Amino acid sequence: MKKNTKTLFYLAIFLYLFIIIFPFIWVFLTSLKPEAEIWGAGALKPFGSKMTFEHYQSLYRGGILTGLKNSLIIATITTTYVTIIASFAAYAIARLKFRGKTLLMVLILSTSMFPQMIVVGPIYQKFVELGLTNSYYITLPYSMISLPISVFILINHFSQIPKEMEESARIDGASKLRTFFSVILPLALPGIFTAAIMTFIGVWNEFLLSLTLNPDAAWRTAPVAISFLRGQFTVYWGQVTAATVVVTIPTLLIVLLFQRQIISGITSGALKE
Amino acid sequence: MNFRKRLDDSTPYLLILPVVIFLFVFAILPIAQSLRFAFYDYQLNDQRKNDLYSNPSYNLRLHDETIKYLHFYLDSEAVSVEKEETTQAIAALKEKLTSYDEEVKQLVPSPQMQPVVEVSEEVLEKIEAGKQELVKELNQLYALEDAFTLEEDIHAVAGGFDESVVQPNFTPTENFEEMLQDRRVRSTMRFTLIFTFISVFLELILGIALAMIMNQAIKGRGLIRTTSLIPWAIPTSVAAMMWGYLYDGSAGIVAHLFSSIGLLSKPTDLLLKSGSTLWAIVAADVWKTTPYMALLLLAGLQTIPDTLYESSSLDGANKWEQFRHITLPLLKPSIFVALLFRTLDAFRVFDLIYVLTGGGPGGSTESISIYAYKIMFGQTRFGYGSAIVLTMAIVVGIITFVYIKSLNVKLMGGDGS
Repeated sequence: MKKNTKTLFYLAIFLYLFIIIFPFIWVFLTSLKPEAEIWGAGALKPFGSKMTFEHYQSLYRGGILTGLKNSLIIATITTTYVTIIASFAAYAIARLKFRGKTLLMVLILSTSMFPQMIVVGPIYQKFVELGLTNSYYITLPYSMISLPISVFILINHFSQIPKEMEESARIDGASKLRTFFSVILPLALPGIFTAAIMTFIGVWNEFLLSLTLNPDAAWRTAPVAISFLRGQFTVYWGQVTAATVVVTIPTLLIVLLFQRQIISGITSGALKE
Repeated sequence: MNFRKRLDDSTPYLLILPVVIFLFVFAILPIAQSLRFAFYDYQLNDQRKNDLYSNPSYNLRLHDETIKYLHFYLDSEAVSVEKEETTQAIAALKEKLTSYDEEVKQLVPSPQMQPVVEVSEEVLEKIEAGKQELVKELNQLYALEDAFTLEEDIHAVAGGFDESVVQPNFTPTENFEEMLQDRRVRSTMRFTLIFTFISVFLELILGIALAMIMNQAIKGRGLIRTTSLIPWAIPTSVAAMMWGYLYDGSAGIVAHLFSSIGLLSKPTDLLLKSGSTLWAIVAADVWKTTPYMALLLLAGLQTIPDTLYESSSLDGANKWEQFRHITLPLLKPSIFVALLFRTLDAFRVFDLIYVLTGGGPGGSTESISIYAYKIMFGQTRFGYGSAIVLTMAIVVGIITFVYIKSLNVKLMGGDGS
């Protein structure tokens, strides 16, 4: 009986891992098959008659590499400024007294709960009016999707720093600003890094704003560029799977390198209690 | 010294200032603007509706263009006509045109060169009278027998005068009335709620099970956790493309598998029959977010002290009783947060469906976000689209309220410390 449960248990784990990983493996195998063998009778075979890199070579034309470059620049700019201003605000909320703190927190929280669709229309209209579409200005409205999570992760980390550190700095006569920059920030670096990783992933994956504000092929981010590989009538799955592999690699690297930060970010961003 | 003290006192405000500015410009202002749009018949591709007009106005830029084109067309006609009499009539009409233009410029002063100026009904009437006079002259000209070539074009251009008259498009109830009549609003809302309920329910059940597995001291725990992060971390549109391939009627292995075990009559049904498409979307969503849900719940599980389980098993409680009386109650805050955020996320689903099915077949998998997007960016009807989005926001408010009431948990834990 006991042994049976254990077998069942491991079988469940194996099944779970298989379901998660299988799509990636299958997509990777398909990306190496000749286009003709992806359809019909060849569709169920894991390997083609020969291995080909033609789909990867065609990615230049599909705009995927431009998309990756745009995504990288846009995500980096957003992550940098959002993390800086979020850490200012998070420190004030976690440690300092000021009027309107509850209001500010409610505002930040509700921003993260509203459907994004509600801001897209007016932002698009203003961007068109000011001629800001198809540019790196898209990084500015990205604050709306990344600031709330970043601030909440950072509040969590700042409130874990022992209060004595600040108090001794105060006794030495340091101002609040000085204390923040020279005592708190260095101690909070791991937390700041976590917030930065979460912002980066969030912006890297964003779709709706990118689709509406940067519609030109030259300005599309990777997630939008890949969605355009789906044509009106035909889809070249070879190209799609190759693009999927290429776009997944950066994410995979981030996950493998920073999984501890990501897990801490997921849990500290959501669990406020 | 005094300055330092004041700087120190204002430090918190200085620190929150950038975030407050960004929140104001990119969240609060656009939300307020959306709210305004919802009360106007605001359409970007219609000259008379592409701004918010509470009062009647006159579009001077369009007026100027119309005048310019009419002159140009009349000049061309003057070249092609043959009779002396007609040439004179054209010259007379061109003079009329100039004097009409001057009259309008006097009636509608635009000191700051604004393209569109608010005017009174009275002025509009005068402009209209002048215009009708002009059209009459134009018709008289074309009544003459001569080698005209541009009659139809000139009438089309003259229509610009009508377009220049902007009636107020403040229609406070129209968008909402239209929404009540709009069957697509109802069907997309119903689809979104069904999708949200099914996927969040499945994700919660599977997520709890998975979190409990991950909480066991077993070999390969690290591997399971790392693997779980991958579906969550990849872009939704990439996941959607991937599943689009696996579901494809002629190339997809999942579609083939389902039809060979009898779940589908033929592989192409998976994305072409509305019933199975819903489940295909749900499955892709469950695949992408269950691991995330599990990680959230795992964090909650880890805060439950082992001693509770040990003492209860000494009291003779079995695993199921432990689950019901220890795990579930203590996990409630985590479940609440995970459920709330997943529900709101699922309710605004856009990328997954937009890329996987585009709302098809026949609009049967259109979510309310996708419908609002099509109204705004496909038909450029921002007023109506905003009204739909506003309704979404209200539903979000109701969902949040119901969760807080029914689970009886505080949204922000105490004073946050």
